Amino acid sequence: MQDQTITITIDEQGHSTLDLEGFAGRSCEKVFEDFRGGDRMKLERKKAAYYTGQQVQQEKSQR
Amino acid sequence: MSKYRVSITELKEEKYLVDALREMGYRPEVHPEAVPMNSYYSEQEAKRANIIIRRHELRGACGDIGFARQPDGRLTLIADELDAYHGYGEKWLGRVQQLYKEKQTLAMARARGYILKKREVIQTKEGQQVRLQFAVRR
Repeated sequence: MQDQTITITIDEQGHSTLDLEGFAGRSCEKVFEDFRGGDRMKLERKKAAYYTGQQVQQEKSQR
Repeated sequence: MSKYRVSITELKEEKYLVDALREMGYRPEVHPEAVPMNSYYSEQEAKRANIIIRRHELRGACGDIGFARQPDGRLTLIADELDAYHGYGEKWLGRVQQLYKEKQTLAMARARGYILKKREVIQTKEGQQVRLQFAVRR
């Protein structure tokens, strides 16, 4: 299983970027919520692994 | 990699803002009820703020700089317009937000059981970036 890593990059223009590795589906939302801190969201992108992970979860639940 | 999100830092929590300002070398006053700020333009109506850095601590500034609590909970910058040209404009505020966000992030991570693996400071064309890497406790 891939390690789950959370990387937060904070710049000097008042922006922060939260990048998740090894997460899929709803586990992403929990981490985002944990680190949100009342900030205003500017942009969100889902990557391929996000959907792949969801598919795996769905397949498991169908069994 | 599965997802990423870009956010704009909102200053809402007094303790992290005060810590950020202290790290920048200031001694901010904290007032539960907003108090008047000193301005270069004495004829102007006095602005009020909850967190205030007095002018004598701000090299080259015309007046005090403060942060006032808004009805929606945000702490917004209150300063003389001229001070934006004296080094207390967007760049200065961005540095405050950066320190605030780092302190807030570390506190949130600690409270929720994430493990800090690495802290890096990266120089870019746009300025300094702080990168924090966390692992999930298993």
